[in-house]
Amino acid sequence: MNSLIAIGAGIAALSGIGAGVGIGIATGKAAEATARQPEAAGAISKALLLGAALAEATAIYGFVIGLLILFVL
Amino acid sequence: MESNVIIWGIIAVLVLLSIWLTHDLKVENPGKKQLMLEAGIEWLENFFKDLLGEQGSRYTPYMMTVIIFIAVSNLSGLLGFKPPTKDMNVTAALAIMSIVLIEYAGIHAQGTLGWVKSFTRPMALVTPINIMEIAIRPVSLCMRLFGNMVGGFVVMELIKGICPVLLPFPFTLYFDIFDGLIQAYVFCLLTSLFISEQIEA
Repeated sequence: MNSLIAIGAGIAALSGIGAGVGIGIATGKAAEATARQPEAAGAISKALLLGAALAEATAIYGFVIGLLILFVL
Repeated sequence: MESNVIIWGIIAVLVLLSIWLTHDLKVENPGKKQLMLEAGIEWLENFFKDLLGEQGSRYTPYMMTVIIFIAVSNLSGLLGFKPPTKDMNVTAALAIMSIVLIEYAGIHAQGTLGWVKSFTRPMALVTPINIMEIAIRPVSLCMRLFGNMVGGFVVMELIKGICPVLLPFPFTLYFDIFDGLIQAYVFCLLTSLFISEQIEA
């Protein structure tokens, strides 16, 4: 039973993949945009931070669910 | 319980700091302290004015209070306290305060009827999703702050377990300082974006 719980927590941690890919793409595009228009760097970085925070949220949900599985169930 | 005590400590420190910083303000020949204080406050004020717009500028004092409180809470881990934002009750309270303020801003700007009508925008089909957002927004605000702080704390504890000398130094820069400040920034950025969305809708 304990190993099953550990496997469940591990599966929950897989949500990090999506966030990693998403933040990677967003940062790449932001770097491209800053290279094209350096004068818009402020606005771009604001949009990037917002997008990264929203994309990261999915990974955080996976992490919280993993913690819940390990310590609450 | 522990976070409760630390929060009172943080409040006491911030109040004493505010009193000390503002007790001898002068119009002519301001001292170094006052100039630094003015520069900092002006920077924060401009940051939130940009986000909230002219109409929402009445909410800037609240947002400034929250960003200072969250930033100090996140950084209190550096002094060996457990950061209060690592406790889900604290972040839940902050998120509930945010959602109440967001909906209040909507009611204040559009009137009660206009606020109710705003749920049917952009079309009537999305009304359930708009209503669900009232619950989803605070949950995601709460979980984002809590999850980031717990994640950073757990990783730091593991690193300290491996090698408590020198090795934690670069990681503490990222997990405690950078991540803490970014999360305070993101929390307030999202809250003020939601407020401005309610005002301009």
